[in-house]
Formats: sequence, structure tokens, C-alpha cells
Amino acid sequence: MLQKVKVTSFNLLLVFFLIITVFPFVWMLVSSFKTNSEIVKIGGSFWPEHFNFSNYIKVQENFQFMTMFLNTLIIATVITACVIYTSSIIGFVLAKYKFKGRDQLFGLILGTMMIPWAVTIIPKYDMMEKFGWMDSYAALIIPSLVSGFGIYVLRQNIMSIPDEVIEAARIDGASEFYIFHRIIFPMSRNAISSVAIFQFLWVWEDYLWPYLVINTDSKQLIAVGLAMFNGQYSTDYGGLFAATAISIIPVIIVYIIFQKRFIEGIAGASVKG
Amino acid sequence: MVRKLVISLLTLCLFLALAACSGEDKSLKGLSKDEKSDKGMEVIGENVKFDPNKLVNNGETIAIELWTWGGKEVFQKQVDAYEKIYPNVKIKVVNQPWDDYWTKLPLQLKGKNGPALFNVHNSYHSNIIKFMAPYDISTEALDKDYIGVTSHVIDDHVYYIDYAINSGNIYYNKKMWKEAGLTETNIPTTWDQFIQVAEKLTKKDATGKLIQAGFNFNGETYKAIIAGLGYQKGELLFKKDGKTVDFDNKTTIGNTQMLYDLYNKFHVGSPDFGDDSTKSFGNGQSAMVYKWGWMQGELNNNYPDIEWGVFRIPTPTDEVPFAFDRYNGESTPGINANASREEQAVAQDFLKFILAGEDFGREFSLFNASFPSKRSLAKDPDILADPVLRALAPNVDRYIWPGSFPSAVETQSGRVFEEIFYNGVDIKDAIKAGQKQMEKDMKNADFETVESKYKFYSER
Repeated sequence: MLQKVKVTSFNLLLVFFLIITVFPFVWMLVSSFKTNSEIVKIGGSFWPEHFNFSNYIKVQENFQFMTMFLNTLIIATVITACVIYTSSIIGFVLAKYKFKGRDQLFGLILGTMMIPWAVTIIPKYDMMEKFGWMDSYAALIIPSLVSGFGIYVLRQNIMSIPDEVIEAARIDGASEFYIFHRIIFPMSRNAISSVAIFQFLWVWEDYLWPYLVINTDSKQLIAVGLAMFNGQYSTDYGGLFAATAISIIPVIIVYIIFQKRFIEGIAGASVKG
Repeated sequence: MVRKLVISLLTLCLFLALAACSGEDKSLKGLSKDEKSDKGMEVIGENVKFDPNKLVNNGETIAIELWTWGGKEVFQKQVDAYEKIYPNVKIKVVNQPWDDYWTKLPLQLKGKNGPALFNVHNSYHSNIIKFMAPYDISTEALDKDYIGVTSHVIDDHVYYIDYAINSGNIYYNKKMWKEAGLTETNIPTTWDQFIQVAEKLTKKDATGKLIQAGFNFNGETYKAIIAGLGYQKGELLFKKDGKTVDFDNKTTIGNTQMLYDLYNKFHVGSPDFGDDSTKSFGNGQSAMVYKWGWMQGELNNNYPDIEWGVFRIPTPTDEVPFAFDRYNGESTPGINANASREEQAVAQDFLKFILAGEDFGREFSLFNASFPSKRSLAKDPDILADPVLRALAPNVDRYIWPGSFPSAVETQSGRVFEEIFYNGVDIKDAIKAGQKQMEKDMKNADFETVESKYKFYSER
């Protein structure tokens, strides 16, 4: 009986937190069908008086929303794919190869995660300018090819793979290339899923860096497009909510695809030393 | 099968991404060489003149960028007209989000790829002035055509001026006005009259609870109005050295007491009734608010059902005050000193085009609900048809600009308001603390007021 009460109380607590977490999102979604005057109305109803689709129509009219959406999709996919690969291969080396300075190198990589982005953004900007990569996707992709977080997660995960598996493959004549691509990579699916979700999300919502390095509207990313709804003195809330509602669809899809392996991947990284 | 599909999609993404890994897009597509210097057009302008009958960039094709955070359509219209005269020139108007415009712009101006022209806001003067080239227009000509030019002269050069001035007015709800039995003749001109009107517009229920504020200055109002109230009595915002803020004085204390009395003696509002005065007015809770020009756009966009009117800020007496209020200018575009010589030359020419003509000043003024500083537009029918601009029009030269002072003054004024109205701190103590904090915050600021350049400065 006591156990049942405990479980029910715990579930109620979870439901409470679920509502707190999800409510702003639902409010945004519902408000995207309201006019601006209805959104800012004091004591207005939660539901729109009339479901109004004009905000969704205006989104494309006001700026190149679909172009920015596709740009972001491409960039997020490319960076995520690259980060998965580089993190896996570096993680494999750091986990399974023994060489002088390996742990120090890993410590250095972890150290890069501790540096706030605000400290590196100006030197990074200067570098992009000197390389002539301004207003090009090279400035978005190349600095993001290697991720300290990705290496950390993959290294921890690969460490849990028994050395015997690799030894057996070597005895069977497998090359190091084969071992990584055919044994280590498939066995790291959980960690890869976690890194993929995080990386995709980070790229998708990254605002300042794409804003700084991309100047052409047709190359710009969605987070920058969303900022266009904030004027000097006022915000087009309806348009912003509608654009945000559309823009989060790919993130939800990525999460749905990888969610099964996501928790296992994170758990794996946290317990293996 | 799925694996092949995923690999194919990834390859496609990579290909598309790499395809976009090219440099700056300053396309000259669609431009043609201009060989006809005589356009058969008349010279535009009274003192600042623009002669279209010439070749720009020797007729060779050239493209420049113009960055702005708002009013893209207004700029575009001017650009279209200019490009029609010069088929070899392309000016790309790029809209930027306001929030981080001031992060990106200095970085771009520092390098060689920044925009040749960019919209300026004078509050960011110190961040960008070192990257700006002076206007290739005589200061005398500018001064003859525009109000307030002298405040912008630096070492005999002008880097930007005001195309329009923005200041505060009282916005009122016409329906409530009528319900209170008020007519146009009751528009108050002095603060005493204003208090009487505000009392009439205030409504309470049977229990004495406020249900309609006669005047609401909650939120951002105090920090916007307090300096202006001082100027009405001839009190400057800065001390004689031009650098130290003069907030803790008898005038500020007196003006704050007047505002305090509006809530606590005359009960025309309350700090707890409609904590955001804009929203409260827009939702029909408050009858009057003090707001600057942006309020017009806010009301039109978010509160289209409110029927509103606007009148000039009241003054202590019916005498003409030292100044009715402070103003802030909407600045003309700046020229990038690091742009190539050719790009700068085109930028200078385009500037002459928009400053010599009247369309830019008129349209941007209407867009921002700011009064045009071009003297020839003072009686323009379109300008005077706008209710906000009509309220400013009769006394437009009686508004003072203190200079683009550091934000600490407004930030600390806002805190003073909160201390007095929400935390119950004594007015004198709060203002004294505000002065101390302002001085501390402005210690390293490179600012000197331009109050002395005000036309009626000697009247003090």
C-alpha cells in the first residue's frame, strides 16, 4: 500500500514537472494561431477566438523562411555527420591505443569544453576573416568539425568495448580501418545517437556565430531568421511563434529517430572511466 | 537499402554545403556600364545639392551594401530611384536583427568586407565612430537644411546627422476622454491642468479600488520623462564640466514629488495597477500615458482597437519653457572608412542623393513617428497629417538633445523609480543614491554633453 502511494506521488510529481515543462511550448503553439492583439491582451483566453493561419502565411512572405530552413537542415546534417565520424575515430584512438601523452591529450580536449564560447568567438571571427571564409559555409562547418563533447562521449563508450573483440579481429586479419568501421562504429550506436541529438540541436539553435559570419540572406540560418521578428521597439509575436513552431519540427524528428539509444548512450558515458 | 539512402542524403547535404562555401556575394549581375554622364535631370536640393548629371565610379559597374535594422522598404525605395539613374551601381539593402546588429557591425567595419553604408543609432556612437568616414558634404549646407547639425560636428566634420527627432508626448484614450465629458478644449497644456484631467479620467469601483487609471507611468516612463521635466525648468542633465551627470538636485526632487503625488495624493494611478503602462493603455485600463514615437507603431500593430489621440507634454506654466522635453535623433547612415575608395565614393554620392531630396526624410519620419529635421519638411502636409508629428510640430526647435549619453543614466533612473514607488525609499535618498551610482557607472565613459549647442541655451 505504502509503495503504491509512493509510486503515485512520484508520478504526480513527474506530471507536475511535465506540465511546467511542456506548457510554454503548448502556449506558443496555440498562440501562433492568434493575432498579435490577442496575444498581448490582458486576461485573454488561452485558446484563440478564431484560429488564424495568417502568421504561418506571413512567415514566408516576410523573409526567406524556407530557404533558411533548408540551409539549416543541410548545415546541421553535415556538421552532425562530421562530428559523429571525427568523435568516433578520435574516441577510438584515445580509448584503445596506448601512446605517450594520451591522457594529457584527452585532458586537453576536455579542457576545450571548459572555455566559454564568448572568449573564443572574436579570435575565431578574425581567423575566418583572414582565411577568406566570411559569408561562406566553410566558416560554419570547419570550426565545428571536431567536438570535445563528442570525443568525450565516444571515448567513454568505446572503452567499454572489450579489447578481446578487437584482438580477435586482428588475429582474423582485420585491418585497423576495418576494425573501426565494421566493429567499433556499429558497437557505439548508443553514444553516436546521443552525440547526434546534441550536436544537431546545437547547430539548429546556434544564433550568434551564423549571424556573425553569414551576410547573404539566402545563405542565412533559421535562428537568425527568427531574430528578425524582434524589432528595435516591438516584437511580432504571432510571426515569431509560427516560425518557431515550424522550425522545431526537424529537431523533434531527430529526437524521435534517436531517442531509444539516447539515454543508454548518455548513461554509458557517465559510468565508464 | 535504408543505409544507402542515408549515405546518399548525407552526400547530397555535403555537396550542397560545399557548393555554398564560396566567398562574399557582391554580385554585379544585371549591371551595365554607364557612358552617359548627362542624364538630362535637374539638380536636387536647396543647400545640400545632388547633381545626377555625372558618371558614378567612372561608369564602371560596382556593388555596395547598406545595412539597416529597420525601414528596409524606405531605403529600398531610395536605392531603386538611385539605381534607375545609375545602371552601373547596385546597392544591396541588408536587413539585420536589431539585437546583435551592434555586435556584428563593429566586427565587420574593422575588416575590409564591411558594408559601405550602415544605419546608425547614436547610442552606439562610441562603438563605431572610429570606423566612420566624414560626410563629403559641407557642414554649412547641412546646417542650413537640417535642424541640430551643430550637435554632430566633430573637428569640423560630420559623420552622421539626425534625419528626424523623436521625443515624448501624452497618448490618451479617446473613448475614455469622451466618457469623462472631456472635449478637445480640455487638452491640458500645464501640469496643473493635466492633474485635473487625469482625476476626471480615473475610475474606482464601489470599494474604492482603482479600475481605470487616469495616468499610468509604470514601467519605463520615469526614466524617459525625468530629464525632460528638468529641462522644462531650465535644469540641465549634466554639470558644468559637461561630463558629470546632475541628477541629485532640487528640480529632480520636485519633479519626482509631482509624479509621486499623482499616485499618492491625487490617486490617478498606482504602481500596482497595470505595471506595464504600454500594455495597460493598449488594453484599455489606463486613459493616459507618456510615450515616445514608437508607441504609434505599437498601438497600430498590437492594439488596433484602441482609439487614441496624442498631445504635447504639459509644462509647469503657460510660459514657453527652456525646452519642452529632451529628444533623441534618428540618425542618417554612416560611411565605412575601411571600405574601398570606390565604394566610399558611391556611398557618399548616395548619401547626397537621399539628403538633398525630401522623400527619404519624409518617409522615414512617418515610419518612425519622428519629426523630420529637414527644415523644408516642417510644414509638409503628410507630416502634419500624422497625429504624433503634429503634436511635436509647433515647438520642434524647443526640444533639446543632451548627446548620446551612457545608458547608466536611464538605467539608474529606472532603479530610482523602483526604489521610491515599490520599495518605499524616501525620494531624496533614492535620488542621492541614484546620483552616486550614475557617477560610478560613468566614471570611465568617454562622453561630453552637447547641451551647450542647444539653440536656446543662453536663455538659462
